[in-house]
Amino acid sequence: MNKHFPMSRRGFLKLGGSTAAVASALGASRLEAMEQELGGKDFSPVTGKLREAVPYTCLVCNIEDGGIAYVEDGRIVKLEGNPDHPGNRGKLCAKGNSGFLHTYDPDRIMTPLLRTGKRGEGKWKRISYDEATTMLAAKLREVIDRSVKANDPAIRNEIVFKWGRNRTGGAIQRLMGAMGSSAMVGHTNICESSKKIGLEPSWGPDIESADFQNTKYALIFGGNVTETAYFHNPNAQRLVDGVVGNKAKLVYFDPRHANTAKIADEWFAPYPGTDGAVALAMANVIMNEKLYDDAFIRTWTNVTPEQLTAHLKSYTPEFAEAESGIAAKDIRRIAREFATTKPATTFSYRGPCKHVYGSYQEAAIHMLNVITGNVEKKGGYCLPRGMGYGQPGPKPAGGKAASILGAPPTYPLAGHQVSTHMPYQLMKGDAKCSVLMTYYDNGAYTYPSSHVWEALLKDEKLIPFYCSFSPYMSENAELADLIIPDTTYLERWDPESMPSDLRPWLGIRQPVIKPLGNTQEWRMTAIQVAAKLDPDGSLGIKQYLNFKDGEEWVRAQFDGIPGLKEDGGFDYLKKNGVWPKYGKIDPVTGQIVDKNGDEVPADYGLHMKELSAAAMEGTTVEANGAIKKGGKTVGVRINGKNHAGFGTGSGKIEIYKEGWKKYGFNPMPVYKRLPSRDKKADELVLITFKVNVHTQSRTASVKYLAELYHKNPAWINPKTAAAKGIADGDLIRVTSTVGYIVTRAHVTEGIHPDVVAISTACGHNSYGRLAQLKMKEKPADYMLGGDADIDNNVWWDDKGVHPNPIIKLSVDPIGGSQGWYDTVVTVSKAQPTDKYGDVKASVEASMKDYEETLRLAYTGDLHKANHKEVDIDWAHLPELKAGGGH
Amino acid sequence: MAIGLQADPSEGVAGKKRWAMVVDLRRCIGCMACVAACKAEYDVPLGVWRTTVKVKDLGQFPNTKRQFMPRLCNHCDNPPCVRNCPTEATYKHEEGYVLQRYDRCIACRTCIAACPYNARHVLPSNRTRVKIGGVVDKCTFCEHRVSNGLVPACVQTCLGRSRIFGDLNDPKGEVHRLVSNSSTVTLKPEKGTKPQVYYIQPAQKITDQMSAPPVSYAAKADAEAFYRHNKGRQFFGGVL
Repeated sequence: MNKHFPMSRRGFLKLGGSTAAVASALGASRLEAMEQELGGKDFSPVTGKLREAVPYTCLVCNIEDGGIAYVEDGRIVKLEGNPDHPGNRGKLCAKGNSGFLHTYDPDRIMTPLLRTGKRGEGKWKRISYDEATTMLAAKLREVIDRSVKANDPAIRNEIVFKWGRNRTGGAIQRLMGAMGSSAMVGHTNICESSKKIGLEPSWGPDIESADFQNTKYALIFGGNVTETAYFHNPNAQRLVDGVVGNKAKLVYFDPRHANTAKIADEWFAPYPGTDGAVALAMANVIMNEKLYDDAFIRTWTNVTPEQLTAHLKSYTPEFAEAESGIAAKDIRRIAREFATTKPATTFSYRGPCKHVYGSYQEAAIHMLNVITGNVEKKGGYCLPRGMGYGQPGPKPAGGKAASILGAPPTYPLAGHQVSTHMPYQLMKGDAKCSVLMTYYDNGAYTYPSSHVWEALLKDEKLIPFYCSFSPYMSENAELADLIIPDTTYLERWDPESMPSDLRPWLGIRQPVIKPLGNTQEWRMTAIQVAAKLDPDGSLGIKQYLNFKDGEEWVRAQFDGIPGLKEDGGFDYLKKNGVWPKYGKIDPVTGQIVDKNGDEVPADYGLHMKELSAAAMEGTTVEANGAIKKGGKTVGVRINGKNHAGFGTGSGKIEIYKEGWKKYGFNPMPVYKRLPSRDKKADELVLITFKVNVHTQSRTASVKYLAELYHKNPAWINPKTAAAKGIADGDLIRVTSTVGYIVTRAHVTEGIHPDVVAISTACGHNSYGRLAQLKMKEKPADYMLGGDADIDNNVWWDDKGVHPNPIIKLSVDPIGGSQGWYDTVVTVSKAQPTDKYGDVKASVEASMKDYEETLRLAYTGDLHKANHKEVDIDWAHLPELKAGGGH
Repeated sequence: MAIGLQADPSEGVAGKKRWAMVVDLRRCIGCMACVAACKAEYDVPLGVWRTTVKVKDLGQFPNTKRQFMPRLCNHCDNPPCVRNCPTEATYKHEEGYVLQRYDRCIACRTCIAACPYNARHVLPSNRTRVKIGGVVDKCTFCEHRVSNGLVPACVQTCLGRSRIFGDLNDPKGEVHRLVSNSSTVTLKPEKGTKPQVYYIQPAQKITDQMSAPPVSYAAKADAEAFYRHNKGRQFFGGVL
């Protein structure tokens, strides 16, 4: 021992802090391993004790990273990435690390609540789960009895279920199916639905798995990988590995200098909504200069290079420059680089697709990978790999009558619904609701023209009964009649799988601790409601929810997974959190390696896999090579070989989409100039964004995240600001045709001069005291309470101003996505009487926007005008069909 | 001869450990996972930080550049905080950690004044879970994890693998390799503190800008709110 080292002399072994751990270190011999381990266990810094470890799957956002929760004295004290997880490889993002604060949010609702005052007045009576589920069951029963009596299954669609983040593994759909209602409305059209619809008819799945780690060239359009976007944490790791480790070039397109631009070699700020023009111009260059993969196009797509070249003729780089502001010479250069650097991949997320006609933009970007033959190549643009988990039998048949809310017939191609339209459809009397249930959903905050949802929920004629399953008092939940709080994600059961790695995985979400207080997970509530709704089973509902609890239900879901049982089945997942185990994390490289230290490889070329003789049994092969079984395409025959192919009707990549043409849309990827492109010179396009430490709507109540980001001033370019006499920090008015908000200016060099950008992370009028900075108020008696840190140490005094009230409803008539970035606004210095946080928004103006956006639908009068080039019989478009979608 | 309660400098001393961190700024994406993980690991209250990631924008549109700068205690091989602590509450461990003994700390703030890196803070008493407060606290390099064979919590969760931790004196180790083979800088080397957090690639200009006062309204408003709340008694180490 060093003579200056005081351990024995001072005898501070018995002192506080981490002395126990110090002692053990000194006693231990040098570690044999050269490097410290990256994780997998944790110790208390106070007592030095090993903490109890329970694997789980994250659900702060939708990426479903694998985690290990560390528990001390029954309390979750730390979360860490599961080192066995191939997706997130032992790491969590800032949100994931902070997720346990959802569980211990002092403003969490700990008991079912029944409204006693007027709707929205905030007066509640605490009731038991038993009373609450009885009440909900009676409300549902009333609708079902009416349906039975009238022998009209459509009446059951008056039971409406609206969800946001639904990771129940089909549990909600099972309950609704059992009750015979089709009125299920997901949230995907405010998320990325036109990305899905741009991709699904093109090649099958709804997203790409860009192999960033092994790529040499990444072209990202509006997908802020290092902060948010799909697979944020896994993709961010791989992008850094690719760009820094593999020396890949990264070119990033985003009107806003997001953090992804920081690691990009080049950042370009296109005019919002013009990414598709840029992508098409790049395709034009690649085709004209014969840089394309001729064999791949001819073999694996339903078009020829000649057809593509002809189609792309008008999309010159000069045309794209005029639309996007990106110099033609840069478009040319990048197109050449992309086509000649192998392997290469694009990635796109909510930038291009969240516009009217966003489906075209997504299809255009997808096409770049196809024409350069980068599909399913190592380092290229790969199909997503996931694992399925079904619902156990017997499965309910589902509703007999189609619901206009669940599948608006005016949007037959929008396979992920058009949830933005729900309030308008109800207000106009196109659909009826008797019982509304919402789950992880907060329309009065998260939707464009969010005030319309508030108006809907306040209207007791339109919504006679509203039950929220929210564990927090959200903008929506405040307007409920009954709240039956769910638990948080660390206290519940779910199956999970996400294509966050090229090696597929299956994960489990399980209660790390017993639910706090007497709260119960939603599955248990569903089971109890079904039992009370159909006590003797005569309605045929109870049989589908006849589970003891959430664990039994999820266990049954895992039972059918091939190969899992041999490895230990459900209990393996409970113990390890994720299956299969591919290897071990290398502490130096962070990669998953085998016993020899070699990286565990992924499979590539999935479309090339040959079908076995067994798989070919009972199939027929069509003239175009499509291998059919039971009416479905299961592969494609090419040069006499039976390949797995792509998930389209032809088994090939369908750049030409016959299904779109049928409704008068262009079957090829095209660019449509948006009205926002023709704004007046002094107007700006309003865009929104997510930041690295927040989800869309649920994390302003999480103290670590709120401390990092709590106010959302509007990003505005210095030149634009100067022209309007606006200085950094000035109070400004942002005005659209819907209304205005009063916020502050963040004058920054990181934004396109024609754009104003406002984050959606904050600006709540509900969601607990922290999100609203009302710490002086005591938590209500039904809340958990008890965080001295929040009560005393919150130092910031600005909660932000939310932009959604002034964002216009406007949806892509193909994919049904909300055009989040199509609202034109004026920005001016605030008026003398304006106060920070003022919001004014008109329901009437939003109703007009609804009528206006319907004009773009295939049944609308603007549709043909926007698609003059499509050669079909316009007089005989398909009839409106209830239950559209694919 | 070392002054204060501390082990001799061990950087480059054969047979001795010298824990050190390399921060590869090329790999930092400013995701803040490290900040959140650190807060959770120690129940760090709001308003104080053991680690932060500073953010600065440079350049003019469209040539805008962003720089991230993770900050934490440098676990100096010649730590001025230890020299200046009147009660020997802070000390330097044989393996290089600079640690704090809460029961000897009188919160006199001498160490805070002595630290050129603003790496120390007075721990508020109102905490969520842990009942220690009113004393000076700081990053420990997660000595309780490291002594158990693990990397610090911030390194564990670092998405970009920007933070790399290990024994600088181990010639086979990654940290040794990176410090030997890359161009690295330490912060304020002129202070003679021998900092043991090594940054890969920044120009010295960037590290200097990173410690400059906030300029944007958004950053200044946060700093002002912080000082109002704390009545000027705490240094604002937040993410500016």
